[in-house]
Amino acid sequence: MVTNSTSLGKPPSGTRGAREGRAPTLWKQISRNRFLYALLIPVAIYLILFKYAPMAGEIIAFKNYRLSEGIWGSSWVGFEQFEKLFASRDFYIVLRNTLLLNLYHLVFAFPVPIVLAILLNEVRAEWYKRTLQNLLYIPHFISWVVLGSIVIALLSPSTGVVNTVLKAFGMEPIYFMADKFWWPVSFIVSGIWKEAGFGTILYLAAMSSIDPTLYEAAKIDGASKRRQIWHVTLPGMRSTIAILLILQVGKMMDVGFEQVYTLRNDAVTSVAEVISTFVYTRGLVSLQYSYTTALGLFQSLIALILIVSVNRIIKAMGERGLW
Amino acid sequence: MVTMGKDKGGPPASARRGRPDSPARWLNNVFLALCAYATLFPFVNVIATSLSSSRAINAGEVFMWPIEFNVDAYHNLIRDGQLIVAMQNTVLITVVGTALNMLFTIMAAYPLSKARLRGRNFMLMAILFTMLFSGGLIPNFLLVNSLGLVNTYWALWLPALISVYNMFVMKAFLEGLPEELEESASIDGAGEFTILTRIILPLSKPVIAALTLFYAVGWWNSYMNVLIYIRSTDKMSLMVKLYQMIDLVSSELLRGEGVTQAVITPESIRAAAVVFAILPILCVYPFLQKHFIKGVLLGSVKG
Repeated sequence: MVTNSTSLGKPPSGTRGAREGRAPTLWKQISRNRFLYALLIPVAIYLILFKYAPMAGEIIAFKNYRLSEGIWGSSWVGFEQFEKLFASRDFYIVLRNTLLLNLYHLVFAFPVPIVLAILLNEVRAEWYKRTLQNLLYIPHFISWVVLGSIVIALLSPSTGVVNTVLKAFGMEPIYFMADKFWWPVSFIVSGIWKEAGFGTILYLAAMSSIDPTLYEAAKIDGASKRRQIWHVTLPGMRSTIAILLILQVGKMMDVGFEQVYTLRNDAVTSVAEVISTFVYTRGLVSLQYSYTTALGLFQSLIALILIVSVNRIIKAMGERGLW
Repeated sequence: MVTMGKDKGGPPASARRGRPDSPARWLNNVFLALCAYATLFPFVNVIATSLSSSRAINAGEVFMWPIEFNVDAYHNLIRDGQLIVAMQNTVLITVVGTALNMLFTIMAAYPLSKARLRGRNFMLMAILFTMLFSGGLIPNFLLVNSLGLVNTYWALWLPALISVYNMFVMKAFLEGLPEELEESASIDGAGEFTILTRIILPLSKPVIAALTLFYAVGWWNSYMNVLIYIRSTDKMSLMVKLYQMIDLVSSELLRGEGVTQAVITPESIRAAAVVFAILPILCVYPFLQKHFIKGVLLGSVKG
């Protein structure tokens, strides 16, 4: 990739086709493909305007940005915004919540689709399996606003079904959404509800490509069902699990805005405020543009480092990388 | 062994046993049915709530079936009219947004699927990089603001013209089409535009269907961008309207006192609004789910 992009500007040095002379070839190539380039022009404009310009806009993290003065008019402040950020208690709370919710997700939610896929794979009647799959996929297609409102209603201490059942067993109702212990639990479980079913698709695909003779051989060797799963099924899913796991780690700095925003409330801010919601409320609601851009930039940089190192790890493990 | 002949292509190992279902397998089937039940129960409950009386809701009597059936909540919603307007807005956002997405995704993916194209790798890297590193919320907002797009739907559509992931799925699919098709068509005198629209796109129906669905569901459910960029009440999308209703109610629920003793509690209205928002998806889902799955699998072939 590197050689290709740099060779554009450099004179040819013994590459293929160099004998014909560079300039006419390049021109001819472009002119022969002008239709394709014409298609790409709007795409390039889009990328520059809406993707790369905002990256340049990150410089306001080093300024004291005021709407009235604009990006260029606002004064430079160097790393002052970052110093303010790292000195504030909010930053550590928000960072801790972001990392913790991701950690809980990794430990409790990540394995669920794997287990579910293994169980689904053991269903023999094809129609039954397909029906189950289609039902389990449904929440994936529904927005967090809807799911969040359903969760809040189900867990309501006065009228929610969950607490009605608890009360029926003589227990005290639990204020799930207002309790610092139960809120993260509800958060993770609702995440499982939405994505676990859909998450089985890739694992099921991986399992269907396992060579059936491996199972035959295992059976002849007297392996029980459980040992077959351990020694044949799981190794067969290994690369899928690895890639998805590492992708998940690459997202450690980010908790989706919509899930938190719909589930959170003032009673649990200390465990529920994450980077994305903090940037929204402090940046767009309280108009602290530069301060929150500094936080956003910090988050993006860590995320970039994570995903690049993660890709290295994937490749070092002998799997195909993300790029 | 008996079943072996019946299965077409890679049967799961489990299908190869001749024995009837063992207790463990039977247990597994029941357990999975319970999982599916748990997944669906909240939706059934919210539908039942939307059709129940406020007395029954407040008493916590509603589980799977409406108690003291009535459609007052829906009546109220329709009479109020705001949700209908919000739904029309969402339909507009979804249709135009998806069309723009597909146009730009194809415009990016088709040229980039040609290995012969000079500068292709540079362009691919430039696109991939936007997936790894982005300008962040505030710079994006300031850009849209300075372009004067705030409170127009262009503020939603333009920054999200291409999903990088979907573009790569499309590109991988196009790379899989045989090159000879285009060559023979161009020998027959077809122009490049004709080749694209008459040959390539019809052959790409599966991937186009899958990506259209992904984009459309994304737009239908989109919430954060509307929250940020749209100001006028009459331009609000369904999800934001819904959130405003939930927010009012949830703060009351948190106090743990049930809701006010009106004939129609906000809770049943909220439930009705939720049903409103999910009904379109539930209606089209059975017909389209196979495209979704195909889309996911297409994407996984070449991450």
